[in-house]
This record gives sequence, structure tokens and C-alpha cells, in this order.
Amino acid sequence: MERDTFLKVILPAVVLLIAITSVLIITGLASENPDGFEWSLFEWAGVEEPSGTFEGLFTFLGSGPVSDAIAGGIGIIIVLLLAYIFFRYSSRKPE
Amino acid sequence: MHVPDGVLPLWVYILFLAISIPTIGYAIRKVNRRFDERLTPYMGVLAAVIFAAQLVNFPVPPASGHLVGTTLLAVMLGPWAAMVIIALVLFVQALYGDGGILAFGLNFFNMGIVGAVLGWSISLVLFKGLRRFRDDESAVLISTPIASFIVIVMMAFVLGLELLTIPGLGFEFVVVITAIHVIIAIGEGILTFVILLYFVRAKPKLISFLSESIAGKTTREHSLKNEIPVEEVK
Repeated sequence: MERDTFLKVILPAVVLLIAITSVLIITGLASENPDGFEWSLFEWAGVEEPSGTFEGLFTFLGSGPVSDAIAGGIGIIIVLLLAYIFFRYSSRKPE
Repeated sequence: MHVPDGVLPLWVYILFLAISIPTIGYAIRKVNRRFDERLTPYMGVLAAVIFAAQLVNFPVPPASGHLVGTTLLAVMLGPWAAMVIIALVLFVQALYGDGGILAFGLNFFNMGIVGAVLGWSISLVLFKGLRRFRDDESAVLISTPIASFIVIVMMAFVLGLELLTIPGLGFEFVVVITAIHVIIAIGEGILTFVILLYFVRAKPKLISFLSESIAGKTTREHSLKNEIPVEEVK
């Protein structure tokens, strides 16, 4: 990855995304309501929600806004890197 | 929209894994050598934007919703690249416990395949209709949020149909899920418009619907500047 591309495109985007999502999660602006699927099926209908067998890689951090923000930030970086690596290797070189 | 493990019968998860995994393989083949290397940082950023947007739920009392983003991706990068990015996002989310690992195929079918194919097709039809009256930028900014609204409602309807495989659930669940997602789809449309507006201003070359007209403009400008016919420039 060229230094220029990293500094001008990737770094500001990562910092901005992590900052926005962290602020939204930590300040409680992100809704805590269950999402449409869970709500409509399990709560509204009075059906008991089944517990998942796998809780996720970051359960050791505990639950709470700060740990959610940390896990989210790590996820943003992981997705960005995975997509960058995939498209980098599958792209065609400029003529 | 993310279905966890243990909700639907096992055969449904296996069936959708059998549909989704070969589709991802085919999408990877279709994407190969399609994009210019210089665009790859933006594609990484776009995947991160979708993941981040899915982290934050907006309230739809008493429930909540979040951006899915498949239509946005399909309009920007084409349906196959959209599927690849959604697969990556869903894979990481599954590792986070958001949507099950076994349910990956089902979630990819709903959000990746249905979303990308319908989102791209509806957007394209609307875009072609609108560009008769509006410039390309306005046409894409109008058509994509409308298509994303329709697609979220259709995805929810498909999800509802899948839920009918749970013993004891009736068609009223299809109606409930679809109805809730009508409201969530409005949020999807608004967020799609905002993100797309940024890319129309900052990097229109990354939007597949606009890249053709940008290439056409460049060719015309080059032709006028050098006073040579457009056909020769091409």
C-alpha cells in the first residue's frame, strides 16, 4: 500500500468511522431496542428467544458500551483490511 | 435482519449454505480483474463503512433497524462485488456473534443475493428511466434510495417466508416482519442517499452507474480539445 493512499484515504476513513461509531455507542445514541427480526418474532409474538450457541469472539470483554465500541472498532479495521487485501489481489494493474 | 443459529430447522441452514457458498465463489470469479488497482483502497473503505453502519441501530420504536447497504454497494460496484463485500461483512459479524455461523448462508442469501440482484436491477431500471429527465448524478441519487427502500421490504418478505419453516408460525409473521421493515426501509433510503451523495461528490468514478457517463464525458472533452471525431478517440 502506498504511503500516500494510506494517509489520504484509509487512515482518515478508519479514524472517522471508529470515532463516529464509538461516540454513537458510548453516548447511547445508538438504539438499544432489539432489531426488527428479534422484536417481531420473539418479543412481540411472545415467543421465547432461543439463546445462541456462539456468543462471539469478544465476549471476554464483557458487555457494555465501551466494550461494544472497542469490539466495533476492531471489526471496522478487520473488514477494511480483508476487503482491501481481497480487491488488491483480484484487481488489474493500471496500464 | 441477521438470523441467529438455532432458530430455523437445520435443513434450512444447510440448504442456504449450499446455495450461498457456490454463489460467493462465482461472485469472486466475476470480480477478478474487473477493478483498477487504484480503486482498491476506496473499496476497503466502503466495506468498512457498511460494517460500521450496521453496528449502529437507529430507533424504530419499539424496535430498531440499521443500514444493510447492499443496494448502495450494487449501484456503486456492481452486484458481484456487492455480494463479495456483504459476504466479508457477514463473515466478520458472524465471528462477533451477530448472525450465526451456521446461519451465514441464509443471511448471505437474504442480504447478499436477494439484496444485490434486486437492488441492482431495480436501481438500473429507475436510473435509466430518470436519466431521460435528469442528469446522471441526480438520477442515481434518486433511483438508489428508492430501490434500497423497495429491496429492504422485499428482503424482509423473503425472510418472513423462510420463518414459515418454524413449526407453529403462521403467515401473520410474514406480515409483521414486512410491516416493521417498511419503516426500517425509510431509514435505509435516507442513509443510502447520504452515503451516495458523499461518493457522487468525492469519487464518482467509483459508482458503476456513473463511470460510463464519466468515460463518455472524458472522451467527448478529449475529442473537442483535439478536434477529432469521438469514434477515433474511442
